[in-house]
Amino acid sequence: MSDLLRAPAEIKYAEELDWLESIDDNPKPFSWRLSPKMVRLFILGSERSDGLDREISQKWFGDRSFVERSIVTLASDRGLLLIGDPGTGKSWLAELLSTAICRNSTLVVQGTAGTTEDHIKYSWNVSMVIAKGQSRQSMIPSPIMTAMETGAIGRFEELTRSTSDVQDALISILSEKYISVPELDSDNIVFAKPGFSIIATANSRDRGVNDLSSALKRRFNFVRIPVMTNRKSEAEIVRFRTEELLHRHQLELDVPPTLLDVLLQSFADLRAAAAAAGSDDEKLESALSTAEQIGVLEDAILHSNFFGERALTARTLASSLVGSLARREPEDLAILNKYLHGVVEPRSKEEGGSWPEFLEGGRDAIATLS
Amino acid sequence: MSGTHEGAFEALRAQLQETAATFADGPGALEGILLGIVDDVDRAVREPLEIFPVCHHSPASAIAMARRLREKQPKVVYLELCEDMAPLLTELRNCRLPVAVQSFATEVGGFPAEWSPLSVVAPITEASAEYQAIAYALDTPGVELVLVDRSSDHVFQWDARADHPAEPGADPGAPEAPPAEEEAVLHGDAIGVEIGDLRPRFAELEEHLLRHGRVRHWSEWWHQYVELPLGDSDHDTYRQVMLLIGSLFRRLAPGDADRVRVDEDRERFMWTRMREHLAATGTDPADCLYVCGAFHAASRVAEFGIDGTDTFEISPRSATKWLHGLIPSSHAAIEAQFGFAAGSVSIAATVWAKNVKRTRVQPYRLTGQAGAPSKAKKIAAGAPVPAVPASDKLTGFLRQPPVLDRLDEAELLGWSVEIVRAARRNGYLASTADAIAVFETSILLAGMRDRARPTPYDFQDAAVTCIEKDSVPGRRDVRRLVEIMMGGDRVGQVGYDALPPLARDVHDRLAPLNLKLQQRGVQRALLDITSQPALEQCSDVLWMLRYLMPHGAARPIMGERKLGERPIQESWDVALGTHQRALIELGYEGVSIEQVLEQRLRRTAYSPQATAATVLEAVEDATLYLRSRRIADELGTRALEVLSAERSVDGAPEVLRRVRRLLAYYRTSEPVLPPWIESFVKTGYAHYCTLLPTAFTDDDATVRQVAAMLGFLFSMESLALSLGCDRTQLELAVAQSHPQDPSRTALLWAAQVQLGHLSRTELRARCDELLSNPMVVPAYPRYLSGFVHALEPVPGLTDFVVEAVSNAFGRLPDPVLLPWLPTLITTLRSGGAELAPLLIREAGRIFPGRLAALDAWVPPWRAPQGTEAVRVARRTDADHGCTLLAAHPATCDAMASLLGCEEPWQTTVPQPRGAALAALHPATAAALEAVLSGPGHL
Repeated sequence: MSDLLRAPAEIKYAEELDWLESIDDNPKPFSWRLSPKMVRLFILGSERSDGLDREISQKWFGDRSFVERSIVTLASDRGLLLIGDPGTGKSWLAELLSTAICRNSTLVVQGTAGTTEDHIKYSWNVSMVIAKGQSRQSMIPSPIMTAMETGAIGRFEELTRSTSDVQDALISILSEKYISVPELDSDNIVFAKPGFSIIATANSRDRGVNDLSSALKRRFNFVRIPVMTNRKSEAEIVRFRTEELLHRHQLELDVPPTLLDVLLQSFADLRAAAAAAGSDDEKLESALSTAEQIGVLEDAILHSNFFGERALTARTLASSLVGSLARREPEDLAILNKYLHGVVEPRSKEEGGSWPEFLEGGRDAIATLS
Repeated sequence: MSGTHEGAFEALRAQLQETAATFADGPGALEGILLGIVDDVDRAVREPLEIFPVCHHSPASAIAMARRLREKQPKVVYLELCEDMAPLLTELRNCRLPVAVQSFATEVGGFPAEWSPLSVVAPITEASAEYQAIAYALDTPGVELVLVDRSSDHVFQWDARADHPAEPGADPGAPEAPPAEEEAVLHGDAIGVEIGDLRPRFAELEEHLLRHGRVRHWSEWWHQYVELPLGDSDHDTYRQVMLLIGSLFRRLAPGDADRVRVDEDRERFMWTRMREHLAATGTDPADCLYVCGAFHAASRVAEFGIDGTDTFEISPRSATKWLHGLIPSSHAAIEAQFGFAAGSVSIAATVWAKNVKRTRVQPYRLTGQAGAPSKAKKIAAGAPVPAVPASDKLTGFLRQPPVLDRLDEAELLGWSVEIVRAARRNGYLASTADAIAVFETSILLAGMRDRARPTPYDFQDAAVTCIEKDSVPGRRDVRRLVEIMMGGDRVGQVGYDALPPLARDVHDRLAPLNLKLQQRGVQRALLDITSQPALEQCSDVLWMLRYLMPHGAARPIMGERKLGERPIQESWDVALGTHQRALIELGYEGVSIEQVLEQRLRRTAYSPQATAATVLEAVEDATLYLRSRRIADELGTRALEVLSAERSVDGAPEVLRRVRRLLAYYRTSEPVLPPWIESFVKTGYAHYCTLLPTAFTDDDATVRQVAAMLGFLFSMESLALSLGCDRTQLELAVAQSHPQDPSRTALLWAAQVQLGHLSRTELRARCDELLSNPMVVPAYPRYLSGFVHALEPVPGLTDFVVEAVSNAFGRLPDPVLLPWLPTLITTLRSGGAELAPLLIREAGRIFPGRLAALDAWVPPWRAPQGTEAVRVARRTDADHGCTLLAAHPATCDAMASLLGCEEPWQTTVPQPRGAALAALHPATAAALEAVLSGPGHL
């Protein structure tokens, strides 16, 4: 496992999944590896009252009903479309769901403007076709087709980034549950096995780029994941992801809780400022999502580990914050400068703690950049 | 009597002790709590006066109550409801539920004035235990209903705000995001009281229960874990379980001292009142039933029980004058006020209706209750069932496995089909396939949440999952549609007979309009007063309602009310049904709308902030809406007092406008002016004369205000002088005024012209001087703005103002002129909206109307001789009137001798008339005619 930069969830949590599977005696739909209740337990973590011998950690943070609705959708006839702002954890939830259900979260099609129908259905190995003609052997199945053949969950990331005609290729897959291969004379239909379903994600900020057709909408159940505004949950997510990150980079670095508070507070302040801003020039270009918070922290950790004193300081955090959020010059820098002077400075005088150092680091970073 | 055997709970006690020992490290807090709960239950069950614990909006409580009342048939029912609300309960039969009993007070005595108006509401729904108790007690002969909770006055006496004034609001159950819909604000900002408030007061406990119950709201938890298991249980089980829950929540509540104090005081109050009643009437406690929230049933105060101590002293009520009434309520309003999940009260109502059908319990219903099904028939009360000592039902209940409600497939199918239809009606692209998906998803979701039967909340989740897409096509989303489907919001209505006299009077007086005013929604009223003079009364009522009620209750579409005008035709949008609460609250202020209006006008006029302008407005309103000379005179006198006390001139423009209007009205409609307005003019004249010199130099007074003062002085001058004022006073005031500011200086010049101290030629010379002096030219626009304002007091200067403005355009250098133009426009628009037409009319008269004429046009002020000639001609023309005097000199001589004039007669030589000149030179006239009527005429 250590030779993987980022192990997919089924590898990372393999042992936990095995254990859950061994104790799961609830009825399982289709060819699911875990029952719906166990899937929920795997994603949302266990509690003492569940009466398990070991603790299962919480992997996705958010409203329980979203997870329940998603699981139930996958057990039904329809596909699942997770929709929400960037950085709300849609893809992570999709990965966890497919991991828990079929132990394979890698059957992924990435939607882009260049995605074609071949990426969704199948394509041909040209040299084999020339050598042996068109046959099932010379066919290259797409991840979705593979999912159909194995009764697994196929994932389609950023569905709305691909063009409408490509999206519509999913309609027949979701309703008829087969793909016909007209190029072949025999064995020319690939049927989906029980357990097949699709989890798609869509970015709500992309609305209007390539809108879903009504026919496709009908075949998906939409679960909207809202932006996390609960500070407690957000802190948990940041902590959870940071631990994962440290583990991935095999770093031994301590993230002081006070610095985590500083980070959360500064993002909360900047979000409030963005909400109050009148025009685009008055707000940062960044969406200030939880994912970006994690990005800032990651940057700071890596920086302090390799160039610093192997300890995370408020100064490094501030310079990472400025470095990550200042994308436009001079607008973003001006906003950050205003924030440092108008909010952080009085706070550092009042509260002290890590704030004065944070202020100093921020000022230095702005001075370097401008 | 349903007491228990001694030691009935011993087995349970032993078991709990063992449990505590197993789960906690040793005997301690846990054991104390668990055994304490059993003690509480035991104590309440053993109480000779039967305690019936209830929970608000709980169908299970209501069913149990109906069943118990039929069995026991108590002679006295004690109810946990504010004792002062008792007389109103019988009026419930005239209403369509839900309605709220309201206590209301505007005259606050003993509480901080900023709390006013005080309002307490107790909403009552049909699916509640308290309604069962009320209906039984009121409709069964020989049964007495006694409300024993603290009065509305005590609600505020014990309000924690008195101790912590900084705390906002006193609504403990305020929801996080109250819906802003119209139905949700039916209670206004009243404080809600409720029978059987039963909810964990310990946030962590509630969170824990919700989490493990796999539910989202407290209402859902209650439905799932209390309502369902208790649905068909017998009386003893119901009672013991409710007592247990009450005691549990009580023992696990954190020590919010204020809240605990109020709760315990209420319990002391209730038991004291009950003991007083029992002692006074000599009723056997066994024939009584005490209905209270389960929380209070598990009370540990010393006063608890009929043998409790009598140490609690009920404090006397404050001097506040309380009024009572019924106001319409709604499920949404109840949910918003008490912080329930949206739709929960509606779901409770649906469950109640279903339970009634299923259990065949005959519920009680007040005779004549509006909205009652017609088949409701009274069944004869059977003989009371003798009480048997209750045994321990708790052990069995606590041990039984969770109640698994069977899947009601038909019901779920019905819901699924119904929601798809509703979604389609609301613009969703939903189809039968969605109905199937919703059905399937509901079952799957319920399965995931460990229940066989999907609750309405599971169904809601399933419907949202399957039908809601990326956007909401209509006004309502799927969540709301499910809420509506599950019973929807129901808005109550207070029947005519239960309305206060004022509201009944309004309805009676608007009867000729033939509208269904009780109905919610907007209705259009058309009043053709010329053909039906009787409708004028309705028009009066509608105008008063418009004045008194919130916006939208009565809105005129056509027609206006002005001084001295009679209505001819009017059309109105009336929404009295929607604003029933406002109308009822108006009823607390008086018995007729005239009385309320009079009070309000008086309150405005006598408030410490009143200014002369606001009091004059009240006078005008009294004349307009009440047509009452008496009140107008009284308020007018008050206006006089206020004016004399005023030391600023802020309200001068408004005072001038209103006095002019009132004067015009009185002159046309009354034989003599009311004495107050005469005094007002007199006082005003002296008052403004006194203030004039200061106002001219005061930086705080604006030009407009000074102009308005002058306007008052000049336009009221004749009346004031006839009433004995002295003009010298005004002349002195003007002479004492030495303004520095250019605009005020211009105003002063205008005043001097009006008084004859300055001629137009002099004024013109001064203006010319300003224009030719490069040092003061930049200030010229400010002089002009003074002149524009001077049109108010001295309208005769209009032509001069046009001249001055024209000069400014002609002679001012661009750097001065151009920056000033926007100021001129804004001044004219904001300050001189009524002056601009005057200026424009005069300009239209002076300037040539046609483009062709412009080349040859010379401004009148540039042709002084011509102007003089015209003036002379006019004067000589005017002299012709004197021929009559010359022909009959006797009159003039007599007058002259009377006045002491000795000058001899002067005769003038008659001069040819203008017409004679035209007759001499007819060619000019002919040419003019040709120009005017010719084909080339533009």
